[in-house]
Amino acid sequence: MTIAGSLPSPPTGAEVLSGGPGGRRGRARRMLAPVLSAHGLQRWLLWAGIALVLLFVVLAIFAPLISPYGWNQYCAHLVRGACEGRFTRQGRPSGAHWFGTTVQAEDVLARVIYGARTAMEVVVLAVLFSTCVGIPLGLVSGYFGGTLDRVLVLIMDALFAFPYLLLAIVIAFVLQGGIGGGVLTAAVAIMAVYVPQYFRVVRNSVISVREENYVEAARTLGARPRTILGRYVFVNVIQTVPVVASLNAADAILTLAALSFLGVGVDPTAAAQWGYDVSRALSDAQAGYWWTGLYPGLAIILLVGGLTLLGEGLNDVYNPVLRRRGIRRVVLPARTWDDRAPQ
Amino acid sequence: MRQRGRMIRLIALGTGLAVVIAACGSGKKAPSTSASAKSGATASVVMGTTDRVVALDPAGSYDLGSWTPIYNIYQLLLKIPPGGNTPVPDAATCAWQNPSNPVVYMCTMKAGQKFSNGDPVTAQDAAYSFQRIVTIKASNGPSSLLSSMKSVTASGNTVTFTLTAPNAVWPYVLTTGAGALVDQKVFPADKLLPDSQVIGSGPYKLAKYVPNQLAEFLPNPNYGGDDKLSNKEFIIRYEQNADTLVSDVSSGAINVAYRDMSPTQIKSLQGKSGVQIVYGHGTEIRYLNFNYNVMPGSNTAQKSAIRQAIAYLINRQDIATNVYNNTVKPLYSMIPQGLAGHTDSFKQMYGASPNPAKAKAALQAAGVQTPLAITLWYNTNHYGEASADEYTEIQRQLGASGLFKVTLQSAEWSTYNVAITKDEYGIGQLGWFPDYPNADDYTAPFYIDCSAATPNFPNNHYCNPAMEKLIAQEEATTDQAKRNAIFAQIQTIAAQDPVYIPVWQGGQVAAVGSNVTGVPSTFDPSYTFRFWLIGKK
Amino acid sequence: MSSSTGSLRRYLVTRLALVIPMVLLLLTFVFGLMRVAPGNPIQAALGGHLSPAQLHVRMHAAGYDKPVVVQYGEYLRQVFTGNFGTTITDSRPVSQIITQNGAATLELTVAALFVALLVGVPLGMLAGRMRDSWVDVSARSFGIVVYAAPVFFLGFLARLVFSTYLGWLPSSSQASVLVQADLIPHSNILILDAMIDGKWGDLPDLVRHLTLPAITLGLLLAGVFVRLIRVNVIQTLRADYIEAARARGVRESRVVVRHAFRNALVPVITVVGLQVALLLSGAVLTEATFNWPGIGNELVFYLNSRDYTAVQGIITVFALVVVAVSLLIDIANAWIDPRIRYS
Repeated sequence: MTIAGSLPSPPTGAEVLSGGPGGRRGRARRMLAPVLSAHGLQRWLLWAGIALVLLFVVLAIFAPLISPYGWNQYCAHLVRGACEGRFTRQGRPSGAHWFGTTVQAEDVLARVIYGARTAMEVVVLAVLFSTCVGIPLGLVSGYFGGTLDRVLVLIMDALFAFPYLLLAIVIAFVLQGGIGGGVLTAAVAIMAVYVPQYFRVVRNSVISVREENYVEAARTLGARPRTILGRYVFVNVIQTVPVVASLNAADAILTLAALSFLGVGVDPTAAAQWGYDVSRALSDAQAGYWWTGLYPGLAIILLVGGLTLLGEGLNDVYNPVLRRRGIRRVVLPARTWDDRAPQ
Repeated sequence: MRQRGRMIRLIALGTGLAVVIAACGSGKKAPSTSASAKSGATASVVMGTTDRVVALDPAGSYDLGSWTPIYNIYQLLLKIPPGGNTPVPDAATCAWQNPSNPVVYMCTMKAGQKFSNGDPVTAQDAAYSFQRIVTIKASNGPSSLLSSMKSVTASGNTVTFTLTAPNAVWPYVLTTGAGALVDQKVFPADKLLPDSQVIGSGPYKLAKYVPNQLAEFLPNPNYGGDDKLSNKEFIIRYEQNADTLVSDVSSGAINVAYRDMSPTQIKSLQGKSGVQIVYGHGTEIRYLNFNYNVMPGSNTAQKSAIRQAIAYLINRQDIATNVYNNTVKPLYSMIPQGLAGHTDSFKQMYGASPNPAKAKAALQAAGVQTPLAITLWYNTNHYGEASADEYTEIQRQLGASGLFKVTLQSAEWSTYNVAITKDEYGIGQLGWFPDYPNADDYTAPFYIDCSAATPNFPNNHYCNPAMEKLIAQEEATTDQAKRNAIFAQIQTIAAQDPVYIPVWQGGQVAAVGSNVTGVPSTFDPSYTFRFWLIGKK
Repeated sequence: MSSSTGSLRRYLVTRLALVIPMVLLLLTFVFGLMRVAPGNPIQAALGGHLSPAQLHVRMHAAGYDKPVVVQYGEYLRQVFTGNFGTTITDSRPVSQIITQNGAATLELTVAALFVALLVGVPLGMLAGRMRDSWVDVSARSFGIVVYAAPVFFLGFLARLVFSTYLGWLPSSSQASVLVQADLIPHSNILILDAMIDGKWGDLPDLVRHLTLPAITLGLLLAGVFVRLIRVNVIQTLRADYIEAARARGVRESRVVVRHAFRNALVPVITVVGLQVALLLSGAVLTEATFNWPGIGNELVFYLNSRDYTAVQGIITVFALVVVAVSLLIDIANAWIDPRIRYS
């Protein structure tokens, strides 16, 4: 929300890339071209973001291979259920436990690694859900306009205006009672926050694409709305999504961390979570056990920072205004209300 | 030119905003009282707590957070003396009309007791106080504590309670917050009085109250009771989380940190200069609750065997040590140590340390396939954050025997306490905080469940007519030795076929500044925090 | 001239007309969510101590088994008469929560906004002006790190360093106990109250308590400002009129200060407005971390105790604040930049 909301005017991409449908490879090359041609600082930041995100993706996927212990393991060995070599509680970082151990005698490093897995699961689901709901709604609303559009815009604006965390907290509360505190609950609670953003972005691009010559042409040739939306509008609009998605993913990680910090995220007995670990560490810190909170917190910063760099980097290279060699043109300052009405 | 115009408008907007903000601030101006309240620093005590006040009107509260100030603002008919566990006179002296049939209880008011506004405390006030609790029936109020009261009348300086059935523990009910005496000229008969307006005849009066932040108590100049005050100002600071208690007590910003610090937080304060940890007797308990309808096991015998096997396997000492740093004590009966009638019945039945062989034998005898998959439920926020650690420990203990495969599930309190009474959790964590320090409060609410109209509060479908008969006997007996004998029988039955497995008994813990005195004397099973005992060296 | 005022008036009317359904929508949403959420205040407070039958009697007396439609009607009537009722858990008038705890939140957010502007604006300007230099890199990294760090983790570090280890600043609450006992609440904004009564001696204590929370929350926003202002400065430096000024031979420093910086600041108003939702969300977490007696902290408590009345009241106020601020911002924008009215 923060970044997408603060960037100047409807996010990007579409203007550069609305050249009409082309071959798949051609389109891919055109999409990637700015990434490859980015240079200097921009390139460096972009690649740093990609590297960080990849690091966490690898950690998440291969957690069982990389992690020295299980996320809730408290003994060196379990021999027929008997615990041998129980870890110390709140042990300092050492050779056996690089990041120390928690109050439940679990390995902090293992929890940080598995925490990446939980974060990825939730965020991928949340982004998937919100695109699946937000994009079709935006397409339909923007293309057909009328009463439906007005009602949807009103609902989405109401949701968008609402403090996002409160929205997520309340929904998580409700769902926890209904379907329990799993990954799904957290993902749905977070989804509700981001649907309005995809809706707005997509709807705005649809409105601008709708009047393009080639869409007009297709319409006069008698193409059905479904075909037009699917074949012409969608492919153009979809190109704005990666930037928003990576920025939203960053935000979603923060939202998940906040939810689990407040105790309404994923059930702590079901998965390792960074936010939950930081909240448990608040009381550890006063006793001098700094390691239980520091590492999960740093993990959040690195992953969110990586996703932000990636998103901003993509935004930079796709946004002609910010591109170093870009065309010189004046862009109006951010507007809040007028870009919601059909133009 | 247009640029400049825009800029001017921008500035105008900003200035306008500043004016509006400033205007908001300049409300009514109070006379400057720069002489601050800091002068009496030596004798003023600040206590921090995470408890919250539900209501300061006794008719509206049924929780420790509210009862703590209530015990200090109001007088009761009877009170529990520091360190004791039997009622003694406060504003009245009381006796059964006929001790062998405890149905009519009569209290005679002491002379010379006054409310802080100067009104005398009369028997009429006392009867009025009890009557209005029942009339108002506030949703968070203590009316259910008075459910055995048929009527209350006042004549002259005597209050007479007539009960619906013999109830030897009635004097204990009078020592709870529900027994606080209010002024009938001040408190409305049919609704609650706002917190900031409450007055009483206790040692203190409420001087300033900012809900959930601060309550300031000053001595009640009209107090006619016998308690001597060791301070001349007592302030409660309400904190949102216990971390703050820890940092504030270390920095000296508060003198007493009371409820509710986690084991880690208490440990972090041990050995800190300027801070001492005070331990006291407590009667809060935690236990496992089994729902007869939905717990695992295909018949009564199997279910019984499963409960016994768990009782054999739980290592209470490990829980106390590994999870709670020994701030709690292993509990071997639903009646905690320190109350008359307690016996270690679970220790006698199942041994002090785990016995996997006997657990296995019990399961095999009933034909239970092992390892048996079971789900343990616990609550994430109501019983302290260490609950997660405690249940992880229990999971490990049961799993280590190879007899059980334990899955942990948790829910936050609002969901949890509804679900547990609706047959959703087969085995789950519960806790009990006493209303008054008497063994009856640890048995009657738990083991009376045979009538469908009044199930026990976890609604776990336990029914044992022998148990109900014993409890009725105990309630009709005023002789303590006889009651103890009955409680011994109750506890034996409770251990033989456990519907609850007691786990631990909490102690009271406070971290206090090294110059603070009196906290150990107020720690007793009644959980009455007596402000007047707290002073400074 | 008259047409200009006319268009402004027309804009305001349409804009205001949209506010009512939006507020109504939010209210309905909140109401619905709270009713779907499991549990109720009586059960939350006394469940586990009273038998189901006793609980049921109390819930019936409190009217929780009334039809939802009836409860909804009562709720709306309360909101529109400005009477938010009394909380069920601790019998406080909701209006008292709003004025008392709301004032604490206001104090915190205004201070945080101040910090954010103080840090964010100069950094953003420098970064935009000295694009791709080390200043730019550090400013951007700063922006990304403070954005990526969860508020509660920053708070955790700040408390650890400045309070636990260094002991310079208090780590919790709004004032020392004795100071608070001394102050007479007029506005409930303690700093203001101290000034009103001329209790200057209390001010240092209040400011010291405010410092860590305000900086923590302020940094979160500062990150947003840095990024936004940097982009704006870059864009304005490319604008035609800047080119024109340069071509006229105006000195570069003058171009930058007079034209670019000024214009880059205009959208900040909009962004401040957009960030109110973020600020309020951040405030919930900051308040939880620093034990600040704000309205967000209360909200989390009342959510846990399922206090419908309190939660609805608080969220309604949040929604009204957000809507009112966005309305004000839009009006201000329409006034400053007439182009907006015609879209």
